[in-house]
Amino acid sequence: MAELYPSIAQTAVVVTALKILLFPAYKSTDFEVHRNWLAITHSLPVKSWYYEETSAWTLDYPPFFAYFEWLLSQAARYVDPGMLKIHNLGYESWQTVFYQRSTVIAADLVLAYALYRYIQSSPPSSQKSSHAVAISILLSPALLIIDHIHFQYNGFLYGILILSLNYARKQSTMLLGGLLFAVLLCMKHIYLYLAPAYFVYLLRAHCLSQRSMFRIRFGNSVKLGSIILAVFGAAFGPFWYWGQIEQVLRRLFPFSRGLCHAYWAPNVWALYSFTDRVLLLVAPRIGLPIDQSALNSVTRGLIGDTSFAVLPNVDPRLTFALTLSFQTLCLLKLFFEPTWETFIGAVTLCGYASFLFGWHVHEKAILLVIIPFSLLALKDRRFLGAFRPLAVAGHVSLFPLIFTAAEYPVKTVYTIFWLILFLQVFDRLAPVSSRPRVFLLDRFSLLYIAISIPLILYCSPIHELVFGKKYEFVPLMFISSYSAVGVVGSWIGFSIVYFTS
Amino acid sequence: MSSSGTPHKSRKKKKDPSQTMNTSNEVSLSESKASAQTPGFPLVAFFWPARKSTSQWVILPLVLIIVGLFRWCTGLWGYSGFQTPPMHGDYEAQRHWMEITTHLPICQWYFYDLQYWGLDYPPLTAYHSWLLGKIGSLIDPSWFALDASRGVEQPLLKVYMRATVVVSEYFSYIPAIIILNRKLAHIRGVNEWESSIALVAILMQPATILVDHGHFQYNTVMLGFVLASVSCMFSDHPIWACVFFVSALCYKQMALYYAPAVFAYLLGVCLLPNLHLGRFIAIALVTLASFALIFAPMLLGSLYDAHRGISPPLSITDREANPLFATILPYIDAQSLLYPLTLQLTQIVHRVFPFARGLFEDKVANIWCAIHTLHKLHEYPIPLLQRVSSFATLIAILPAGMIISLFPRKELLPWTLASTAWGFFLCSFQVHEKSVLLPLLPMTILLGGDGGLSVEMRAWVGWANMLGVWTMFPLLKRDELRVPYYVISLLWAYLLGLPPTSLDLYIGKRAARSGMRLSTQLLHLTFYAAMATWHLIEAFVPTPKAKPDLWVVLNVIVGCAGFGICYLWCTWQLILRSGVMEEWFDFRAQMQEKEVKAGKEEKKPLLPPTKGKRATPPRDAKGAKMAKKS
Repeated sequence: MAELYPSIAQTAVVVTALKILLFPAYKSTDFEVHRNWLAITHSLPVKSWYYEETSAWTLDYPPFFAYFEWLLSQAARYVDPGMLKIHNLGYESWQTVFYQRSTVIAADLVLAYALYRYIQSSPPSSQKSSHAVAISILLSPALLIIDHIHFQYNGFLYGILILSLNYARKQSTMLLGGLLFAVLLCMKHIYLYLAPAYFVYLLRAHCLSQRSMFRIRFGNSVKLGSIILAVFGAAFGPFWYWGQIEQVLRRLFPFSRGLCHAYWAPNVWALYSFTDRVLLLVAPRIGLPIDQSALNSVTRGLIGDTSFAVLPNVDPRLTFALTLSFQTLCLLKLFFEPTWETFIGAVTLCGYASFLFGWHVHEKAILLVIIPFSLLALKDRRFLGAFRPLAVAGHVSLFPLIFTAAEYPVKTVYTIFWLILFLQVFDRLAPVSSRPRVFLLDRFSLLYIAISIPLILYCSPIHELVFGKKYEFVPLMFISSYSAVGVVGSWIGFSIVYFTS
Repeated sequence: MSSSGTPHKSRKKKKDPSQTMNTSNEVSLSESKASAQTPGFPLVAFFWPARKSTSQWVILPLVLIIVGLFRWCTGLWGYSGFQTPPMHGDYEAQRHWMEITTHLPICQWYFYDLQYWGLDYPPLTAYHSWLLGKIGSLIDPSWFALDASRGVEQPLLKVYMRATVVVSEYFSYIPAIIILNRKLAHIRGVNEWESSIALVAILMQPATILVDHGHFQYNTVMLGFVLASVSCMFSDHPIWACVFFVSALCYKQMALYYAPAVFAYLLGVCLLPNLHLGRFIAIALVTLASFALIFAPMLLGSLYDAHRGISPPLSITDREANPLFATILPYIDAQSLLYPLTLQLTQIVHRVFPFARGLFEDKVANIWCAIHTLHKLHEYPIPLLQRVSSFATLIAILPAGMIISLFPRKELLPWTLASTAWGFFLCSFQVHEKSVLLPLLPMTILLGGDGGLSVEMRAWVGWANMLGVWTMFPLLKRDELRVPYYVISLLWAYLLGLPPTSLDLYIGKRAARSGMRLSTQLLHLTFYAAMATWHLIEAFVPTPKAKPDLWVVLNVIVGCAGFGICYLWCTWQLILRSGVMEEWFDFRAQMQEKEVKAGKEEKKPLLPPTKGKRATPPRDAKGAKMAKKS
């Protein structure tokens, strides 16, 4: 087996250099959020972690992440104790910035390791494409923008996810995969979106006999059950013991938020809102009733609770019903065909369903789709066809996260670099499919990718030159609607491929 | 260095046809057993997937994006003079020039408030500043408001200024390097893939990135002109070479470091092998015309201003400060047209060449500063020091100049440029630590040539660059650029497999096969060790109270020694590669023969045959490559 170059380690070194250079870059409030958590976990007893509210950025991640922050705070003490004081709101000495940014970079080692394992454990015939995929994830512009400019720890968390997905490949390590996923859930509960796929896969492939679905493998079931219970016990047990579960859950699931996040995530609801805005202009002419109370929120822009002027309002229950039903569809297939690749496909589709139909989805959640999908993108050309618009849309939709002039070239140029490089490499590596390709999908994706260039240009420099600060929501709306089209398109494409292969 | 001392006839190339790939740098492929090829150093690994049949037109945009990203991200850090009123630094100087050129009549550019960053670069810089100032004023006029804008530090202005450096570089330095690199590869028969690798190595050169995008300057524009000029020499267009070189001189006077080499080469091209009088006259005329063209807006503008009744604000002190004009003044009528012209010209010359300043500025790793630490030089009168330093410089550049004018061959150009630039850097008057970019550039260009990525060449070029960037550490530290310094220079070292990150070049099988002398290896490793130790000391040990500059002085002494070695190496390589030694031995042998067979006729004249022999290999390589292509 020929060695594959550049190796994960080599790539990691170079990309780390870039990440370090990004230290002084713009950082969002998430930086202060994480600093505050360092302070909380360091200076308060565990009992009051989920009650502390000096800062508006209260602890709203599950306990394992809090433990992780506690661990980081132990070293932070020696760097700058100032960042560990709860009342030091907005504290950002250069030591603090260096330290927090370095922890993100260090935590990315988990991702690099996971990708290394992923390449090692993929079958020799597909090792070359696995290598390309792994490098593409390691260099992902989404992770660079979100983690190293905006500030979060996604690289680390997705590293655990990939490790867990990879362990789920073989019967012998499947238990470990389940364990890691449980740990991941206790770090960031957004991964609950993917949990149905795990549940069905582990149930069918691990707890039921491979030959007959009616024969239960009790040994496996008990082992898996107790492991998961143990993990959750370690995470939530103390809080349950202190009777704080209700408070913890209230922090984790704040239901008071609106349907759409401040910037619309590119999902079905973005298209729905966009239609509503368009109808609002058209409505007087065709005589549709307009909800006057909603007009205020329309003119206010995009912040806060979304209510619709023409179209009916959306109920949280509806979003859950939609999400679950689309998830169930793909899980049925997984149940009857519990192979690893179907499992990854199901994870991807669970991500899609919750991203597209979920309540108050963040645009950052697109990673839930992109990363599992990447693992399948090179299966054959049909998968790649569906991946392309997602790769463009998913990354373009993240652009509004970073709006400062100095970082503008970094986010756009780096993303363009990644797209040119990997769409090209993938195109060369993806094998021809044994089944016919989906009719117009390729043309659609080419056209779609082409549109992105004028759109990016319009949305940042041109709009500002023409309109100044007015109509700020227009470019944002264009970006989310454009990206929504891409994400929905790739979802349809992927679903077809998933159900027909 | 001796084994590969006889250049461009490398044994390596003979192996080529038997190998699957055409490569003169076979070392970059390391193990020659076809089955187990591995990348020789990390940079090669990144190009590994592209080694078969990937067009350069795919690689090039990606390379340009990546090197651009690293430049831009370096720019996110501090710059010279950030938050250090009242004078700030180079960033403020450049911004100030945009301010004065956009607001003042052209005749006052070189006179306005000279105490506060008066314009002291040649006119092309002034025009460039004017253009950038005009464009910037469209975005926000307050950035360049006359006087009111002094010391502004807005984040958006910083973005604009950084962007101007990047854009200027992408219009000058980068296309020039790409073209020159391709020419070099073409002439020397380096394949496209390796040429791309060399391109990245050259573009990621740490010193240039850190000075221009970190510290803040526009050196790359001048360097771009110089490279364009060298490109033209490579493609036998000496006329255009003159135009570009004059542009470089008129952008930044520092290009003078290269001037003797360029002059000697062009002279050689005119005189040898046969006398080209037409070419000589054309070169002279074009050079004059280029100067005239570049100075024309300045001079015509001053005439027009004089006609409008605007005159430069020349105070008495300035008049005294400008001795050139003071000597000419008695001979000119204040009413004549000549008056504003001479005033302007003498003022530019006076501003651009500040002879009144000291022997060296700050702490710079050249011989004067090194000697100064042992024996104080400021006891001597400045004119004497000037004369001594001019004489020393002349001696230092003499060998290279003589060789290139006797053997005006293209492939010797980078060596000559490097040798003369080192000579200037080490011996001349008024040297800045940033000037080390000039000798480093032609050395770095060599990476793109024949065997440029071989162990020995990488070792030398890498060593010189690491040393160069290391001597700039005190400067970069002042600008709060420590982190980018470590990141950018270590990244380059990593990509090229150089010592702080890897010892492959010096220890191990490949190093043993490279034929590098043990003494060279020891020399390099000693310097690397010294640099590393110095960093540790500088970071953790406070300087003794009596000598606050001790660490910087140590840096200067070590750096000076290293640069001296670089100079000697470049000059020695030039001598070896020019074939002057062989000719000398031939000559001596013939003389002896003559003595033995006294009275007999000489068989052949001295020069031509050897010249012919020497000129063939490049053409062979070219031919071989073309044959392979077809």
